[in-house]
Amino acid sequence: MSASDDAPSGDAPAEFALVATGIAKTYGATCALRSARVALRRGRVHALLGENGAGKSTLVKILVGAVRPDAGQITFAGAPVAFGSVTQAIRAGIVPIYQHLSLFPELSVHENLSAFALAAGGGLWTGRRLVEPARARGWLNEVGLDIDLATPLGSLSLGERQLVEVARALSLDCRVLVLDEPIAALNADEADRLFAVVRRLCAGGAAALFISHRFDEIEALADEVTVLRDGRTVIDAAPIGRHSREQLTHAMLGAGVEAAPARLSERAEPVLAGRGLAAGRDGRAGIDVTVHAGEIVGLAGLIGSGALSLAATLGGAQAGPGELSVGDASFTPGGRRRAAALGIAYVPADRHSEGLFGALSARRNGSVSALGPLARLGWLRARAEAQAIDPLLRRLKLHPLVPEAEAATFSGGNQQKLLIARGLAVPGLKAMVLLEPTRGVDVAARGVIHEAIREAAVAGVAVLVATSDLDELMVLAHRYLVVREGTLAAELPRGAARAALLAALSGSAAA
Amino acid sequence: MRTKRLPDTPGLPGRRGLPRLARPPAVALVCLGLFLLCCAFVPRFASFGNIENVLRVASILCVVACGQAVVILLGGIEFSFGASAALASVVTVTALPALGPVGGLAAGGASVIAIGAVNGFLVGRLALPPVIVTLGTLMMASGAAAWLVGGLPIDAPPSAAFSWPARGRVLGVPVPILAALLACAALHLMLAHGRIGRLWYHVGANPVAARLAGLDVTRITTLGYAVAGAFCAVGAIILTSRVASGQPALAPNLPFETIAACAIGGLPLSGGRGRVSQVVFGVLTVAMLNNAVVLINLPVAWQLVLLGLAVLAAVGLQKDWAALARLARRRGR
Repeated sequence: MSASDDAPSGDAPAEFALVATGIAKTYGATCALRSARVALRRGRVHALLGENGAGKSTLVKILVGAVRPDAGQITFAGAPVAFGSVTQAIRAGIVPIYQHLSLFPELSVHENLSAFALAAGGGLWTGRRLVEPARARGWLNEVGLDIDLATPLGSLSLGERQLVEVARALSLDCRVLVLDEPIAALNADEADRLFAVVRRLCAGGAAALFISHRFDEIEALADEVTVLRDGRTVIDAAPIGRHSREQLTHAMLGAGVEAAPARLSERAEPVLAGRGLAAGRDGRAGIDVTVHAGEIVGLAGLIGSGALSLAATLGGAQAGPGELSVGDASFTPGGRRRAAALGIAYVPADRHSEGLFGALSARRNGSVSALGPLARLGWLRARAEAQAIDPLLRRLKLHPLVPEAEAATFSGGNQQKLLIARGLAVPGLKAMVLLEPTRGVDVAARGVIHEAIREAAVAGVAVLVATSDLDELMVLAHRYLVVREGTLAAELPRGAARAALLAALSGSAAA
Repeated sequence: MRTKRLPDTPGLPGRRGLPRLARPPAVALVCLGLFLLCCAFVPRFASFGNIENVLRVASILCVVACGQAVVILLGGIEFSFGASAALASVVTVTALPALGPVGGLAAGGASVIAIGAVNGFLVGRLALPPVIVTLGTLMMASGAAAWLVGGLPIDAPPSAAFSWPARGRVLGVPVPILAALLACAALHLMLAHGRIGRLWYHVGANPVAARLAGLDVTRITTLGYAVAGAFCAVGAIILTSRVASGQPALAPNLPFETIAACAIGGLPLSGGRGRVSQVVFGVLTVAMLNNAVVLINLPVAWQLVLLGLAVLAAVGLQKDWAALARLARRRGR
């Protein structure tokens, strides 16, 4: 509502690469944007902050031409524009780097880098379909990747793929680079490379819009910040450093949120145990992991270390060597159905492709693993289902609290809450395995999800959290298991110094 | 400003508090419009006899479309329905001397269910693409039907029991129409209240997530195709009874007409969404189109052309069904 007075509307228009004012957008009954404004200066990195549901994603989609606004005006390089498609926007020089990668895993790195050139058309039969290898290699070098052009993209780690996507942006005359949570999948080294590329682009006169939840990243990279709340711009293009983190959080939420310290439960009997497991397809077998009742074990590892893979194996979601047990019952890696029947909840890392049923209601997303007890002779009891799931949705502060609404209509953080609710609803819940439970989730949702995880642990559930987010690891876990290059490299107690954890992760210091 | 209500299927909002079943889908508008157009401009359309005829044709289509809807919900597609109906008619007539009319029709129906189960096994267990699998079984069923009767239709000896599925009446209601009503009711119960229907939605919406949530995706898929086969079997029995013969080329357009009915009804071919009322209105639209073509003396071949156009229009409009519904709501205010 209170757009601050330093709105740069009076400045010379040439200074701005892209200005959007008065943007409004309504989806069905949900008003995503009411009156948003964002102004990107040439040569500056602009951060866009906001809770999930504040309208960030919608605003970004409008800026890159994927969605048309209901109202408002967009000025690009001084002239009003209305892009009809992403392709048009890309041709004009607005290049999006998405949170959900828009690459082709089956194709080679070279072919992926040529995608824009191919999409530009015309060249289908000219025999020069791919960009010259030397140029492609040059782009890869700029983002600090040293990989063979013929490598299939699917064999790269998520972080490397993201860098390929950025490299692809270099193939265009990029005037505005839009980065939607690009760092979520990157490790520290990869993030540094990305930052360097973005700064270089900006030094050349481009503008960058950078969406992130992490203050560390924003302070490291951005020059200016715009904050959205409830579809409105509440802080408009303020220089970084004018507002403290608390002020920014307050602007985002309208209220302060505290991260409560984890309550330590008593050590109890082992619940979830794995013997002779492997971390990742190439990792050597022989990893033993035990999680006790009431305990939250943090599984840490850089991208590609095998940490996520090990966690997926423990949840029964991924096949591999070794054996698993919960209590007295055993199951095999990849036996997800039996694992679920034994009371093991699993929250996958990629909520869109592996977790969410977008076409189904929020309630049905929550109840999918609990249909057994909710059915009698093949009939689902609708009231029992609502009674079982709705309180969980309420406790997780689902917003808007409409259990009948389609899951796809919720914001990312609220979709993640649906997956958490699904896990908590597993009948006879004994263990939870969560992969990146708050990736791409805003501060408030993150707090709610962490609280739910702690409550489950206090109630005696064995919890394993695999995360690449050190902050999350340190506020949540009772002890840390560090995976490096497919092996269990270290075990650290709660309270271990961040530096020790970092050293174990990267293997830089003598253990 | 923010209202508390979000529609979970594309459809007209109706009155607040109206149960979901009573909220008509957007295709109802199209169907109603076509009906009024036909009444106004197509000669002899609006007679009792013709309407009953339309409903009779629609009823067979409807029963089979219920099966197609299950497969489409699962994110698949069924091309083998026409060929398996033809095989059913041939099996029926071949088995007639040994098993009698009831046993023969049952044997024909069982062969359709078996083909459905095979499709389900190949799609569910072996993870083969549904298009290829059902095209493969289409060819095999078609070939088997031609082989069984040596390529030429064989007439069935007339009997009351044999002609009952197509021509009988129960309390004055033609049996095919009754069968369609029962099929719709059964499918509605499965989808809206049954556990298996819910599981189909889950697998259709996101098979990977369904597996990770602990569902038995293979079994759910196989069962879905088998149930689809059962719906098709009922349709095949009625068809066989109607033509009173074993015909290796009985209903070649059946899969396309049922896919058309589902698409026009607004079921996304990507799966995970849809309800029975959409299928019903889609079927009625297809049946009226076909009937109108005959009544205005266009060549019958036009049926397919029009149907193709209707399908393309429906799929093209599909993402805008919701917009259509919103438009109607705004008008209603």
